[in-house]
Amino acid sequence: MKRVVVDGGTCYTKLHYLDSGRRRIVPTRRFFQSRNDYRVAAATGHNAHRTARRRVNELVALAEGTMRLVPDDDFTVLDCGARDVKYVTIKGRRVAAMDWNTECGAFAGQMIDLLQRYFGIQPDRLPRDSKRIPVVCGVLGMTYLFDRVSQGATHEEAFAEFLRGVSHNCESLVGKPDRLYVSGGLCMNRAFLESFSCEVVPLGRFVLVEGLLSVVGRRGLGFDGP
Amino acid sequence: MSGNNPWGVDLKIAETVGIVGVPPWEMMRERIEKGDEIVDLDEPVPGFPVRDGYLPTNYCAILKRVVSNIFSLREAGRLHRVIACVGDDKCDGMRHIARWLSTATDIPVERVRNDSASGYGTPICESHLPLRAKFELIVEGVFRTPRPPEPLRKAAPRCGFWGVPPADFDVLELFPDGTHVYGWTRCMENKTPGDFELECLVDPGVPTVFFVQSFCQKSALAFNLAKKHGGLFVEVDSRLSRSARAKIEAFIRFNAAAADTR
Repeated sequence: MKRVVVDGGTCYTKLHYLDSGRRRIVPTRRFFQSRNDYRVAAATGHNAHRTARRRVNELVALAEGTMRLVPDDDFTVLDCGARDVKYVTIKGRRVAAMDWNTECGAFAGQMIDLLQRYFGIQPDRLPRDSKRIPVVCGVLGMTYLFDRVSQGATHEEAFAEFLRGVSHNCESLVGKPDRLYVSGGLCMNRAFLESFSCEVVPLGRFVLVEGLLSVVGRRGLGFDGP
Repeated sequence: MSGNNPWGVDLKIAETVGIVGVPPWEMMRERIEKGDEIVDLDEPVPGFPVRDGYLPTNYCAILKRVVSNIFSLREAGRLHRVIACVGDDKCDGMRHIARWLSTATDIPVERVRNDSASGYGTPICESHLPLRAKFELIVEGVFRTPRPPEPLRKAAPRCGFWGVPPADFDVLELFPDGTHVYGWTRCMENKTPGDFELECLVDPGVPTVFFVQSFCQKSALAFNLAKKHGGLFVEVDSRLSRSARAKIEAFIRFNAAAADTR
């Protein structure tokens, strides 16, 4: 049986194999189909409670994981997942602020992924100077997007406006810093990152896994580390 | 739903009166002295689940419960009158609902405003009790003198909860014992539900969660108080979601080191 720590997201599960240090991303549905193949030492994420007895809060994992990766004393990191976005602001290597959009505004991330695939959009073909449409939540945002198409905008233009709407919400949530570290599934989406008005530094999809390793390793809860 | 005579006198029930908000204390005393049974319509009524269709889907879960309780209890022949607070002491939503109810039902709807400025104090809010027990006592205190399970001891605040009594009391289980209560619930205990200054009072430096029901107009106040005091703004609809739970747990963990909620 493989020993792992798990960031169990809504759509994808991020696995870190404790014996080899290898990392892998699998669709969450597939992970649960083979759940019995794993011994999960600790978990975070929406599906953590289904995965392991030892669980770490997502915001704690985000803060701890980013501090492992970023040497700055002060910074803000935003985690953009399928279902929601959350952020932590660090000042003097301590958590100074945090928030999580839990309801309204949710599912915008998943909508970006779905729309991009559905329309077959190439990120480098998106207009760079688009306006933004209001994205109160993924579904309402999509309604505006299709309104824009019916008003004559191309799908690329409408999608770029949708992205601007999402990134505007993100920047408003975190308080418009000059530089923003980004983690999660959307930080691999170049079109999304380019829709921000501030400097964006992507950290990849394993930031919460880094946080898990940090918290669980430090507590020494029968965990022997990678 | 049971009789609620706080003076221990065996009185015949004259009317079953549903209340919304915090009606004037003297009015509640008169009703109870008359032998009326009081039902708090803001709270769940056992055997009467909330029914949809009376109000829009995206609406305050508390007011949806109020309206459902009114129609369900009336249908069951267990409600004779409604006393609804519609002033600054309640919320804009109830003012509109009370007007509509008076045309949509045959139940007499008495619209009242509680502008009492005579404070009774807030010992429950500042006590050592678990947060859920505090809320149960404060809600009970709307129409009878609450009876704490043990003598109240004043405790230093480790955390703060600002807001109205939530539709889902499970949210209260996330907070450490001794969490102080602020906002409209504090005004409820003080029996001054329209006291805006008291509603805005918080203890600077105490990590406070500013809670509102989704779709509540008080969210504008909660949002900006949270920004001003470095607190956490949280909206919850009818049930505490897993995301909202995790967000509150993290806030308490980061801000009140002793409270490890994992």
